[in-house]
Amino acid sequence: MAVTACFAYFFAEPICSFEVSREELPYFILFVAFAAITAWFVRALRGSMSNFSLPTRSQSTSPEQARGGGYGRFGFLPIATALCAGANFAADTLTPTDIVFSSLYAVVVLMAARFCSANGIIRVAVGCVVLTILSHYLSPPEGPQYVGIVNTGIGLAVIGLVTLLALRQKKAEASLREHSGEILKLNNELAKRARELETSNTELESFAYSVSHDLRAPLRHVVGFSELLQKQAASSLDEKSRRYLQTILDSAKRMGNLIDDLLAFSRIGRTETRKTLVSLDQLVKEAVAEIGQDARGRDINWTIDPLPACHGDRSMLKLVMVNLVSNAVKFTNMRARAEIEIGCLDRENEVEVFVRDNGAGFDMQYVDKLFGVFQRLHLPEQFEGTGIGLATVRRIIHRHGGEVRAEGNVDQGATFYFSLPKAQLAAERTAKTP
Amino acid sequence: MSELGRILLVEDDPRDVELTLTALADHNLANEVMVARDGEKALDYLYRRGEFSTRSHDNPAVILLDLKLPKVDGLQVLQQIRSEESLKLIPVVVLTSSHEEKDMIRSYKLGVNAYVVKPVDFHEFVNAIKELGFFWALINEPPPGSIKKAP
Repeated sequence: MAVTACFAYFFAEPICSFEVSREELPYFILFVAFAAITAWFVRALRGSMSNFSLPTRSQSTSPEQARGGGYGRFGFLPIATALCAGANFAADTLTPTDIVFSSLYAVVVLMAARFCSANGIIRVAVGCVVLTILSHYLSPPEGPQYVGIVNTGIGLAVIGLVTLLALRQKKAEASLREHSGEILKLNNELAKRARELETSNTELESFAYSVSHDLRAPLRHVVGFSELLQKQAASSLDEKSRRYLQTILDSAKRMGNLIDDLLAFSRIGRTETRKTLVSLDQLVKEAVAEIGQDARGRDINWTIDPLPACHGDRSMLKLVMVNLVSNAVKFTNMRARAEIEIGCLDRENEVEVFVRDNGAGFDMQYVDKLFGVFQRLHLPEQFEGTGIGLATVRRIIHRHGGEVRAEGNVDQGATFYFSLPKAQLAAERTAKTP
Repeated sequence: MSELGRILLVEDDPRDVELTLTALADHNLANEVMVARDGEKALDYLYRRGEFSTRSHDNPAVILLDLKLPKVDGLQVLQQIRSEESLKLIPVVVLTSSHEEKDMIRSYKLGVNAYVVKPVDFHEFVNAIKELGFFWALINEPPPGSIKKAP
């Protein structure tokens, strides 16, 4: 729009400067070049103008912006130029035709600024040219030549200024478009990944489902018929055969436990977390009471520090506590007096809960294996278990946005830590997510 | 406890059928068990169709229903039973290998009376079956129109 204004400015006043003679030839060339510059300009400007008020593609646009019109940041330019053109006319030898032309220029420039589109601007430019030529014939040039030269200079200066502004805008616009293109690409990539994940999740779910159904049935038959055989033929079997039979039974039962644990583990990833405010104190009390039932007859010295409340899924966090406490009880079974300590370290944004025991411990060089599925650092004869408890712990804590770690030494006990975001922070975060 | 209700066992796996019948036999409950090997057979029995067209009009005292069945699966059978005026009162116990929450929820939504996961351990399995049979065939008072027989 500003360009249109300059255009009007350029042609409005020194009609004398448009004398098509040999001396005036540079002006004529400028005039022709102008049409081209205008068209290029308008494109650049329109782009940058729409960017001022349309930061994202998806936002709704007002009808005015959608037309590419409106006065925008450069709005003062066409108005000022139109006024200048009028003033110039007035300062010049004022004839009735001059008044008509200056009013026409003002109207044309303002209209162009208001409703401009690339095509519209070209039409306006053509209109200006026609008007200028007409005015040339209607009122032959008079007055000093230098006025025309000065005005042309001013016009060129304005053009230069606007060109610079437009170029800056265009550059900004280009980088914005590049960024939004990149974002769009990344978004598409993300959406694709999400779909893939969903598919693989569904597959995993149906896999776990069929494991749950189809793997258990034959196992039950192995156990069932072995027991029936044991009952039926126990008296006629020799010691060795009875031991074989017992091994079949034990192995089948162990496999049953493995399947159950694996299914429980996979269920953690699939079920939704129902987060509430959870009192860790209460949770530890319940877990210790539960495990303590199985550990009757053992001498265990419990040290339980006060724990804060956390934001999380109660049943899942309880599973974490039960797993860690039962591990502590299990791995201290060779101690005459087991020492188990449960406490917490208060950090800036999180609480870190630990369970410490004086049991078998582990070699720190295998610490990475500790939280893996089916990873065990001890022989099954030493400590029973399926090797899935700590994997479950890690999975649950990760789903809560926390971390797990462990410290230990062989035969000197172990400490397991898990961190959880503080209740207040977690609640705020949940509240913010739509 | 004077009369013995008939049990309809819907189970496709012959080994599971044998184990179940063995467990029920320990309680002298096996005689009144009707076994259907798939969902279609179970519905045939309940609707007195095909080979069952000549049986009496009475309903079983309880249906022990597996979920994973050939042709018509357990949940479909359950749905059919609950939507049929003459069958909807029959107590149905789902007896399945599935621990899955969604199976459980769907079964209860369809109006199952109990949901029992078959224990892997044989003793537990036998005990579960015994207790189920004892409760539903002997202790529970089935709705009117069920098959009962003096033990």
